[in-house]
Amino acid sequence: MFCCLVLETPASPPGALADVARACSPRVELIGDRVAVFDARGLGRVLGPRDDIVLAVRRLAVERGVPIRVAIAPTATAAQILAHAGTKEIKDTGSLFLKCLFSETDSRCLDDTLDIFRRWGLRTCGDIARLPRADVAARLGAWGIALHQAACGEDTGPLVPMQEARRFLERIDLEWPIEGLEPLAFVLARLCDGHALALERADRGAVTVTTRLTLVTRTVHERVLHVPAPMRDARVLRTLIVLDLESHPPAAGIDAVEIELGVVPGRIAQGSLLTRTLPTPETLTTLIARLGALMGESRVGAPSLVDSHDARAVAMTRFAPGDAEPRNEPRHSGTCLRRLRFPLAAVVTTEHGAPIAVTPSARSLPGGAVIDRAGPWRSSGRWWTDDRRQWDRDDWDVELNHGARLRLSRDRATGQWAVAGIFD
Amino acid sequence: MASSAVFKLESLLEARKLDRTLAREPASPPPVQPTGIASLDAVLEGGWRQGEVSEVVGPRSSGRTSLLVATMASATAGGGIVGLVDTVDRFDPAGAARAGVDLDRVLWVRGPQIGVEQARATLVDRAVHQALRAVDLLVRAGGFTVVAFDVADIPPRYLRGLPHTTWMRLAHVNAGQPTVCLLVGEAAIGRSARGATVELDAAGRWTGTSPQSRRLTGFNIRARMREARHAVDVGPFEL
Repeated sequence: MFCCLVLETPASPPGALADVARACSPRVELIGDRVAVFDARGLGRVLGPRDDIVLAVRRLAVERGVPIRVAIAPTATAAQILAHAGTKEIKDTGSLFLKCLFSETDSRCLDDTLDIFRRWGLRTCGDIARLPRADVAARLGAWGIALHQAACGEDTGPLVPMQEARRFLERIDLEWPIEGLEPLAFVLARLCDGHALALERADRGAVTVTTRLTLVTRTVHERVLHVPAPMRDARVLRTLIVLDLESHPPAAGIDAVEIELGVVPGRIAQGSLLTRTLPTPETLTTLIARLGALMGESRVGAPSLVDSHDARAVAMTRFAPGDAEPRNEPRHSGTCLRRLRFPLAAVVTTEHGAPIAVTPSARSLPGGAVIDRAGPWRSSGRWWTDDRRQWDRDDWDVELNHGARLRLSRDRATGQWAVAGIFD
Repeated sequence: MASSAVFKLESLLEARKLDRTLAREPASPPPVQPTGIASLDAVLEGGWRQGEVSEVVGPRSSGRTSLLVATMASATAGGGIVGLVDTVDRFDPAGAARAGVDLDRVLWVRGPQIGVEQARATLVDRAVHQALRAVDLLVRAGGFTVVAFDVADIPPRYLRGLPHTTWMRLAHVNAGQPTVCLLVGEAAIGRSARGATVELDAAGRWTGTSPQSRRLTGFNIRARMREARHAVDVGPFEL
């Protein structure tokens, strides 16, 4: 005895249909996003005859806000056809509902075969089922047999129950509260070892690591780490958690430690003979976490260009280099600027608005007479806002008599000069 | 008898990873990472030696950053990745992108935004130590084609204050790895035994005759390459 549930509206939350089916039976097979079939054997002893089972399932679905169509039949195939048809009994043109058993990629062959049945005057599943299968096979081949089996309500394979989603959760309640990260690291190591073993067995990799520390103050200190690539190495996981907790330490002693992993199927890596070997995602993630702990999380990443006329604007993105083929692009020569993020104030003597001598405010950057210059390059932006990022300045490139080449900028609002960068 | 004693001594040095002091020829030329500048690559026998600590030194505006960026462009174009430890946050991504650096393949480690020209000595000292630890982490991680330690704006007195073993340790960590560790500074800092020191001096290349068309388009650079046993003048070349 099998029961089929078909979702009526695709807008239902993901997993809701599976939850309803699971509440009825542990043996559930999900077919796509909209169909679930479960083994209803034995439910009769609990709920009564078939109609009562259908009513109970429908009531459960209504309680959970999942609009479904339900059908029960001796075979999974028959249950699916009935559930898609939405009736107890399929009458005229019922053969069309046979299509629900097949994937969309097969629809063209199915349509052709059903068209042939229609031309033969066969409209219901019963009409098709009454044909001798050997003759159908002789005339219509494999598709004819498949449709004939479906019309007879025969299952072509057993129900394949899906595995229940497993939670990767490890917890330790400590006998004595611990303070400080060093003793905590030992506890984390034990939890991570257990996780690594479980991940290995299930062929899964962690992509999120949630650490919950129950503190002596009865509050929970929770940190969530997002790992860029699925990983299951216990040492890496422990290092990442410890580095994160170093940056965000708990406020009190710890009573209980819990680590929960969000998992995805394991990663299969295939190296290439033609590209350079890059550090593994585990190595890179650990490295970036270590560098982040050392320099600050916002200070490590890949530089990126900002779509702005403000040449001083910089941004960073996550460093995630992929494999790249070597390329032979022509290199563009040009001056490289060492940019002073906080421009250094300078006294500049001008002649007809152009700088002729520069004296920076720092003694370590000697001033001098300007022997060559280019500019001014005028730029302004964000003048339509009141924030501090607005700018309006003239930039000059100058060469001083002792060889230094500087970029000077003059704020047009205040008239103040500053050294914005050094060409090097 | 003598040869067995020499063999024993060499074996001992090899076991302690001190065999680079031996005066024997390597079996094959060491792998190199091109700088992207043909004349300099020719003198360096192909480029910077991998597994060694090399240096780019020179005064302000001598083209050190341009050479570093050219090396980064060459490394990223070859499919490699670059770690850049920017001690006081002076790297200009837009300029590097114009020079051909694939920014997605650069791990930029930014030090504190301090005006090193005016900052207190303790701040600069702390920034240098932090950056040095970052370099150590990058080199130890492995897999980087180039790890650059940019201390071009740090006065040499701060670097001289570091323990002498710092550079030996860095060279030891990098030995045998397919990574070029490149130090960019004002004066020679701590090249490894087989690394090269490239001293630069540059003149600005200006184009245009009228004030409106005048541009600083690059540098004409003269370089002097120093290795353990010889020094060679290079250039001039344009950057």
